Amino acid sequence: MTIMAGRVTFLFTVLIMGAIVLIGVNMSQAGKWTPKIRRLAGLDAVEEAVGRATEMGAPVHFSPGIGNISDDSAPQTFAGLEVLAYVTELTAKYNTEIIVTIRQPNVFPLAQEIVRQSYLAAGRPDMFQEDTVQFLSSEQFAYAAGVMGIMNRRRIAANLMMGAFWAESLLFAEAGAQVGAIQVAGTAAMAQLPFFVAACDYTLIGEELYAAGAYLSQDKVKLGSIGSQDIVKGITMVIILVGSLLATADITIIKDLLSK
Amino acid sequence: MRREIPLVITFVVGMIVLLARIFTAADGGEFILAKWAGELTDWVIIVSAFAVGLASVNLFRIHGDIVARKRPGWINSLTLLAAIVVFAVIGIAARFGAGPFFSELNQNLYDSIISPLGAAMFAILAFYIASAAYRAFRMRNLEASVMLFAAILVMLGRAPVGELIWNQFPSIANWLVDIPNTVGQRAIMIGAAIGGFATSLRILLGIERGHLGGVE
Repeated sequence: MTIMAGRVTFLFTVLIMGAIVLIGVNMSQAGKWTPKIRRLAGLDAVEEAVGRATEMGAPVHFSPGIGNISDDSAPQTFAGLEVLAYVTELTAKYNTEIIVTIRQPNVFPLAQEIVRQSYLAAGRPDMFQEDTVQFLSSEQFAYAAGVMGIMNRRRIAANLMMGAFWAESLLFAEAGAQVGAIQVAGTAAMAQLPFFVAACDYTLIGEELYAAGAYLSQDKVKLGSIGSQDIVKGITMVIILVGSLLATADITIIKDLLSK
Repeated sequence: MRREIPLVITFVVGMIVLLARIFTAADGGEFILAKWAGELTDWVIIVSAFAVGLASVNLFRIHGDIVARKRPGWINSLTLLAAIVVFAVIGIAARFGAGPFFSELNQNLYDSIISPLGAAMFAILAFYIASAAYRAFRMRNLEASVMLFAAILVMLGRAPVGELIWNQFPSIANWLVDIPNTVGQRAIMIGAAIGGFATSLRILLGIERGHLGGVE
């Protein structure tokens, strides 16, 4: 067994980052370090959005994006599902209907179980209905048409979109804006961020989506891993800075090291 | 056990796939982890097929109920159910070699129905971009004003008429796109990549378990 060419840096990155995250989690669990996450207006607005839907007597729509759980968009989908658990509990607390629309068949049983368990945890298993979590279509634009139809027919009051989105992002955001829904979106899909920023009330940008689960639950283990993530980010920034300065001076030691 | 078994499966499968992307056989022969990773990829397809079945049952139950109770819009639900059955029957017949007629019909259904409908949905984006831009570019605050002026400069730089007005507009537009825009995008990309990496690690190590359902 040997390391593939060009994967040495990747292996060491995984090992170092894994070690930093595990140390951070252990320290946080032991109470030696409690990282604080800065205020995220988008996540604070989720409760406001559900509250508004309650006042209006209209449903909340939630989409965990159109990404799968078995490709590179999986972290975004999982982060979206973390938020779904929180939102479902809120809707149970406020006795407000939630409609979860799904594009990926693989995500459907996960979302259904999360909603069912969250209702159960909130003491409202009766709120789970067959059409609470709806699979619409695995075709991208058929799913988009289905979501836009639900938004218009049900006159949703809040539209929450958390996960990986592609070209349908603006279709959802504009359809939500047209029915007057308060909209909170979160994605790490670079190309879709400008659309969400332009059309939604609040947007979680990139890494903020990944921090959502920790921010909402204030779980020490998750907070520890988010804090560790920031340490890794700091190290990355130093490497970029030093690498850029050295490369400017025609010294390619860091560049060569990273390409190994 | 209901939680531990999925966590163990996630860790074992995740490690096999991860290590198969890092290590290879020293003698250049077939590497066992790569073989297992390939097998697991096939398993994903099988599990996905079952997930499609579950999702289809959900569709049939929701829309079957709407049709049975003749709720508003029941005709749309009936059309959807009929389309699912027709597409499935023709697709299966074409796949299992029922003849060139079914293969052609299957292809025509996609080319003449799915593709134009998808294109129509995509085309709506052009109008939505205009309405979203109108809302985003209103000068509500300093940030929106900066965005408005930057957008005007980029549009003037990219439109042929801009160069006729002032030949420096393309250079300004290129600078805005190449420097401040790229800097911002890279910052978000690096943050998101590290965030995605850490999230994957949390899922692999069983720290993040919200997707398994229930309160942690």
